[in-house]
Amino acid sequence: MLNLIGRRALQGLLTLLVVSFLVFAGTELLPGDVAQAVLGQHATPESLQELRVQLGLDRPAPLRYLSWLAGVIHLDFGVSLASQVPVRTLVAERLGHTLILAGLSAAVAVPIAFVIGLGAATRPAGVFDRVSSIGALCVSALPEFFLGTLLVLIFAVNLRWLPAIAYVTEFRSFGQMVTSLAMPVATLAAVIVSQMARMIRATVVNVLSLPYVEMAVLKGVSYRRIILVHALRNAVGPIANVVALNLAYLVSGIVIVETVFVYPGLARLLVDAVSSRDFPVIQACVLIFCAVYIALMLLADIAAIIGNPRLRHQEMKK
Amino acid sequence: MSTNVATYNERWVSGEIVSTTGEEMLNRRQFTKSLIATGTALAAGASSLNLATAQPRRGGRLRVAGHVQSAQDTLDPAKFVQSTDYARGHMLYNALTRIDGNGQAQPELAESFEANQDVTEWVFKLRKGVTFHDGKALGANDVIYSIMRHKDPKVASASKGLVDDLVEVTADGTDGVRVKLKSPNADIPVLLGTFGFMIVKKGTTDFSTAIGTGPFRLKEFSPGVRTVVTRNDNYFKPGRPYLDEIEYFGIADPVARLNALIAGDIDMMSDLRPNAIDEAKKASSVEVFSTPCPRFVQFAMMCDREPTNNLDLRLAVKNMLDRERIVKQVLNGYGVVANDHFVMPKSPVYNSSLPQRGVDIDKAKFHLKKAGMENASIELHVTDAVQNSIEMGLVLQRQAALAGLTINLKREPSDGYWSNIWIKRPFHAVVWNPRPTESLMATLIWKSDAKWNDTQFKDPHLDQLIDAARGTVDPDKRKQTFWDIQSIIYEQGGNAIPAFVNYIDAHSSKVKGLTPVPTGNLGGFNFADSVWLES
Repeated sequence: MLNLIGRRALQGLLTLLVVSFLVFAGTELLPGDVAQAVLGQHATPESLQELRVQLGLDRPAPLRYLSWLAGVIHLDFGVSLASQVPVRTLVAERLGHTLILAGLSAAVAVPIAFVIGLGAATRPAGVFDRVSSIGALCVSALPEFFLGTLLVLIFAVNLRWLPAIAYVTEFRSFGQMVTSLAMPVATLAAVIVSQMARMIRATVVNVLSLPYVEMAVLKGVSYRRIILVHALRNAVGPIANVVALNLAYLVSGIVIVETVFVYPGLARLLVDAVSSRDFPVIQACVLIFCAVYIALMLLADIAAIIGNPRLRHQEMKK
Repeated sequence: MSTNVATYNERWVSGEIVSTTGEEMLNRRQFTKSLIATGTALAAGASSLNLATAQPRRGGRLRVAGHVQSAQDTLDPAKFVQSTDYARGHMLYNALTRIDGNGQAQPELAESFEANQDVTEWVFKLRKGVTFHDGKALGANDVIYSIMRHKDPKVASASKGLVDDLVEVTADGTDGVRVKLKSPNADIPVLLGTFGFMIVKKGTTDFSTAIGTGPFRLKEFSPGVRTVVTRNDNYFKPGRPYLDEIEYFGIADPVARLNALIAGDIDMMSDLRPNAIDEAKKASSVEVFSTPCPRFVQFAMMCDREPTNNLDLRLAVKNMLDRERIVKQVLNGYGVVANDHFVMPKSPVYNSSLPQRGVDIDKAKFHLKKAGMENASIELHVTDAVQNSIEMGLVLQRQAALAGLTINLKREPSDGYWSNIWIKRPFHAVVWNPRPTESLMATLIWKSDAKWNDTQFKDPHLDQLIDAARGTVDPDKRKQTFWDIQSIIYEQGGNAIPAFVNYIDAHSSKVKGLTPVPTGNLGGFNFADSVWLES
């Protein structure tokens, strides 16, 4: 097991290195640079040149990449070229917001997904299965900006129960946090619940058709026990994977929800940084997203191994 | 009279003030005249409408959402390039002058200002008793530093292009500064009232905080997230500001911005989209705030490259533009029809002798034939970065088809538009935000050597006229020069300009004291020391 973790961590580091290079190359390909973004459409060439020298943008691209890399190895992520604020400060604040939102959404979505998925799997083609399937398909077909805006129109503009924007820099109380984040969490949860629930249902239904389950039924094991103990453990691999992918999405892919609810998260910072060509900030955001993916996929694999003795033994044989 | 004028939520279209409540309103010019006629002096810095508003209330916290959300937010006036910086700047700093509702300079940190005979030197007399937020008194040295730093290459100022004309700024006595110019310039007081020229303390190089003279002190500044400022009790204007605190942040999404206003989460927002005006008006607690201004959208036809270097093609396009429809439908009435040049009809130097162009398909066909471009097709680049340009392009496309010209609209991404398309493609959309003066606008865009001459139309005679206009103080001479400038651009230029586009904002009906200033949204972004909240 430790062997696996060590190997995967090394692979992860290599992936991060490759990603950072690709991101750097991509940023270089974009037209314009941070000096143009900072000084605006109407900057004079002299001012642009001076700012480029001050920011070190006049150095050749490979050199800039290497010096950034050297900094990162010493855990120095540099200073934002656009605002001169240390990247660490910028990112730390936004990462906190993102983790709160992602954490709450996951805490709401994952249990619901399990209840719906297992409920549907208990009686395939039953009433609950059909209703939940249709519901899940409908909700996952709704784009986030539509769902989010719809919620705002109903609960903020018409009913006035909740604030239209989740914009906050500090949560003064738990109650305030709940009302501010209720709608973004609901939007995100709706999107990922349907995906996870369907995946859980499909996997469990699949396992339930295997002979050993039939055996258990014949032995008189209760249905609840069959599903929770016998079926779910064998289904844990694929389920852990889909849950991990959805959690990674909650951290990195929610720029639309952040925009609709004006929530200062990490994804929004990345978009802002790209439009101002702020390379150190872009890199920091992308590397965090990448690391989150790698870590969550590793966790999913470990969960699968723990849940499934056969995989555990395979792992040991290696 | 004063109660009528107190209704400030007017729609000012084509120079008329129309009260949304249906009350009879005075035309702004009449009102100003009547004030002067009755011998009422205009208070320093206060615009005419503001004077007449009901008794302002002290206190309250204002939440404002701007339409730009950017991690480039800064406290350094030399790097002010976005509306979020302008609004923040006016909370924390002051400039020597303040631009009023007519685009004229009014005294602010300068008590008075005057030029010498040939307008090559300006003397600004500083107001006494003004202090910075740290208690230091404002002196001539601070003003000299704040202006001259734009010339320092190390500062890499975004306003560097505006100070090329300045030779030096020196102290004049104990309480004044003298600005020496390379060439005559009547617009210096207006220029020094613009965003980049806010006054900072001498020697300031660290802009992680802001020590200004402005109505508010900095409490919290988080680039790309928010700015919070609290009342400066030592502000030099007695009784001002009215608010205790302002929180300013960006909501880039127009739908989210309006929803937040209707739901009461914010009190004021900049940039209401024309297509959402009806929505905003339906909400009982929301008022639409519109500012007619010389901001214009144009289709630039570059005169140095195929195919738009053909004057007949340019004239054909100018005769295809359905300006009325653009103002009515695309801008929802919140704009003014333009005549292919940059001067607004209500300006004193507007050339009224040029016939207003409209749709004239026969004329367009005639010019197309002369250009040998019947049934030709050309590409027009439009973008979200130029607000409404896509809709305007569609209107043009339809009329062009009638005349036998196929226009292919190429929708370009906002990101990178100004570096890839602008002044690069022969036929593209551009928006020009108002400059404080007409001569500055002409200098920026129509001088042969101007960097932003986006049509590359070059005419030595036009250059001479623009230079002459800048140094002319005599109203009649000035008017004649501007008439000639307009007619050259109208007849030969590469600009198809359909409309001047109002700034449209919205705010809660509790917000009072906001007056239109044609240099930007929300009273030229200079609302901090005049706005108050009704209880």
